[in-house]
Amino acid sequence: MIAITIENLVKKFGEAVALNGISLRIEPGELFFLLGPSGCGKTTLLRNIAGFYIPDEGRILFGDEDVTRLPPHKRNTGMMFQSYALWPHMTVAKNVAFGLEERRIASVEIRQRVEAALESVQMQQFADRKIAQLSGGQQQRVALARALVIRPRCVLLDEPLSNLDARLRLEMRSEIRRVCKENGLTAIYVTHDQKEALSISDRMAVLENGRIAQIGTPEQVYRRPRTRVVADFIGETNFLKGKIQSLEGAKALVETAEGPFEGFLGDPDWKPSLNDEVLVSVRPESWLLRNDSASVNVVKGRIGESIYLGEVAQYRLQTNHTDLKIFELNPHIFSRSRDREIFAVASADDVVLLQP
Amino acid sequence: MSHSISRLVFFLTSCFFALFFVWPIAETLCGAFVGSDGQFTTDYIVEVFRNPLYVEGLWNSLQMGIWSTLLSGLIAIPLAWMSDRFLFPGKSLLGALVLVPMIMPPFVGAIGIKQILGQQGALNALLLDMGLGNAAHPIDWLGEGRMWGVIVLNALHLYPILYLNVLAALANVDPAMEEAAENLGCKGLRKFRLITLPLIMPGIFAGGTIVFIWSFTELGVPLMFDFTRVTSVQIFYGIKDIGGNPFPFALVVVLLGATVLLYAASKIFFGRDTHAMMAKATSQGGPRDSGLLVGLLCSAVFSLVTFVAILPHIGVILVSISTDWYQTIFPSGWTLSHFESALGHNLTLPSIQNSLKYAGLATVLDLILGVAIAYVVVRTRLAGRQILDAMAMLPLAVPGLVLAFGYLAMTQEGKFFSFLNPSIDPFAILVIAYAVRRLPYVVRSAAAGFQQTSVTLEEAAQNLGCPPLRTLRKITIPLIAANLLAGGLLAFSFAMLEVSDSLILAQKQQDFPITKAIYELYQLLGEGRFVASALGVWAMVFLAITILGASLILGKKLGAIFRA
Repeated sequence: MIAITIENLVKKFGEAVALNGISLRIEPGELFFLLGPSGCGKTTLLRNIAGFYIPDEGRILFGDEDVTRLPPHKRNTGMMFQSYALWPHMTVAKNVAFGLEERRIASVEIRQRVEAALESVQMQQFADRKIAQLSGGQQQRVALARALVIRPRCVLLDEPLSNLDARLRLEMRSEIRRVCKENGLTAIYVTHDQKEALSISDRMAVLENGRIAQIGTPEQVYRRPRTRVVADFIGETNFLKGKIQSLEGAKALVETAEGPFEGFLGDPDWKPSLNDEVLVSVRPESWLLRNDSASVNVVKGRIGESIYLGEVAQYRLQTNHTDLKIFELNPHIFSRSRDREIFAVASADDVVLLQP
Repeated sequence: MSHSISRLVFFLTSCFFALFFVWPIAETLCGAFVGSDGQFTTDYIVEVFRNPLYVEGLWNSLQMGIWSTLLSGLIAIPLAWMSDRFLFPGKSLLGALVLVPMIMPPFVGAIGIKQILGQQGALNALLLDMGLGNAAHPIDWLGEGRMWGVIVLNALHLYPILYLNVLAALANVDPAMEEAAENLGCKGLRKFRLITLPLIMPGIFAGGTIVFIWSFTELGVPLMFDFTRVTSVQIFYGIKDIGGNPFPFALVVVLLGATVLLYAASKIFFGRDTHAMMAKATSQGGPRDSGLLVGLLCSAVFSLVTFVAILPHIGVILVSISTDWYQTIFPSGWTLSHFESALGHNLTLPSIQNSLKYAGLATVLDLILGVAIAYVVVRTRLAGRQILDAMAMLPLAVPGLVLAFGYLAMTQEGKFFSFLNPSIDPFAILVIAYAVRRLPYVVRSAAAGFQQTSVTLEEAAQNLGCPPLRTLRKITIPLIAANLLAGGLLAFSFAMLEVSDSLILAQKQQDFPITKAIYELYQLLGEGRFVASALGVWAMVFLAITILGASLILGKKLGAIFRA
């Protein structure tokens, strides 16, 4: 188990700056996610860690060892590629054994470890198959076994589930977490699927234009997004424009077109002053639909388009100024909701104030 | 591969090209433009155009090139069109067989075609038999000065090149283009002329250029026909006094100038694929079943073309097993003794050994260079890699005769490369000559392999601890093995039956490769042509075994090899 430290990493492709001063520390044994919209630099960062790109500035440390300029084959990382990159001219067992053969491990031990690795991903009966004879999910398991069998210093996963269907994806993501935790591996996982990140990560970094927008646990990132992009990218949210009326530490009162809102600043480093423009972010599930109003954090409107999904109903609430997305868990007003005037109320704890 | 290794590969391959491609051409240019006083002069070039003998040679060469190309087109374009449009019985087999003439040596076929079309040949005998023709004045089918024989043989040998190019171009045409024309009321031949033909023109021109360059400078066939009034043969005879005579140099430069101009023109006019398809094909094109009649017609045309194209070689086989063949339809007697005497002749066995040695080593050299160049071109972002790519393709544009002449010029006494002088030992220079000429095929097929193989497959190996060079060996090479085999095979086959380098550079009997041995045997009086034919048959058998073996290894059909 090692920590991975990234210091001030800069990577340019010609004029384009792909990574613009990234610093972060991944703790030993942590399952760490890199998340962000396409083009944010998450894959570039992973490829720098794997050694396929050499950064223009900055350092990468595995434990205390500086690996910034180490060629990929000397880094001892286990990478899982988006396309799996299984070699079609070798059998499943050969693919898995490859890394061990490169390490000149005795053939008896190779056989044992390959067997164990295939067993741990439930693929032992396919050892002699060719890659082309496997389904997508089976290939994914082999790729995982191949990356782990070498007992790497860390595991690098590049959108490993993006080629699978929805059901398999659910199954495999907990599988990946189980395997990483059982082996005590430091793992870095790149994805653009927020559900994957929220469900299995220890911590995550959200990237935005080659910079880190936020680092934190799933709960921190979801409940207290620091920027507009993070709030928008992780989960769904409603934005209301407003102006700051009063400030008290991280808590503030904001005047919006819908009325006054009370909430907390998302970015603790942001020091706004009175009358500054601010963006109020309230997630759809934070609203409570009621027949009576409240003094603060309330909007009045009519329910327009609505979708019933059983455990939840999704509404669009049309106010005089905007239209908001609202989820109601265990919906019981759905059938009588249409065209009724109704109030939606949020708790101050669920209201995040962001820099516009 | 790490940056420094890529740079080294880039540097070494560039050096190879500078030394064995640029240098010989430069040496030839020097010979043509530098007078005996060491000053620059254009006198020799001007004199070439004044001397009626040389002008006639150039004119004949030009006609040979143009007519061979047109005739190839006449054969290849309808064939490609049929193959693109229709399904017919035995299509995959016939589609492969129609390519076979490409690797049959036309120079050997010349013996056969003379036997069939000559004044005392099989065709006239057949006509007399049927009561046609005049025994006293047999028709000379090969034409005055035997020019037509040369043209027909060239066309029958080279049409597969054009066929493959046109077929590829047709496959690229979005069927919607033609459907749009039909929708607007344009059909049949008119549609082909107005829509399809302009769209496939770049393909036709690309293939046509190669066919023209090839036939324009063909040496072996005119030699076998004793057709001496062409530039290539004039150069060949001029080589004997290469030391003192500037005119062979000047002739070579004129040939080179003409081909380079043509090649450049084709690149300028058609290189940038002016008719790039705007959209991906929306509808499924592909060949369709048009009924038994059309199908059988197509099969018949393919069979007929193949039969006619290998007729010269059938002739060769017949000559090799005949006791005599004069004024009769078929040989008047049969024997296998020529094969024995061919093998018994002191020219034969060493020449087979030599050819295997030269061609084998040249192929190995090609594979090494080809993989290296293709790697740099496809996998790296080194500045100048496109130049390397273009350079690797140039041997297609430069006639073999020109290069062979250049090699000879640059290894003369007193030159830097005199240690490679072929009159002492042609081994090294022949291997290099064979390799340079065939390099484009190997580079192309290796590059295609690299493009089809995802980089992540290599990255995965490096990630698991495999150093770059070992990754190349353990992952990449096995994955592109089929491409390399196809390219290597083509290189080997062509090298085995290479004519101009072999005739010019191999000067001592113990160094002769097969082709030169055939040529020398053919010159012998009496049994000459029979023994030469027998050796030619041996060569064809060799070739057939090579290709059959490879196609078995590949597990693919024969045609796939040539489409690489």
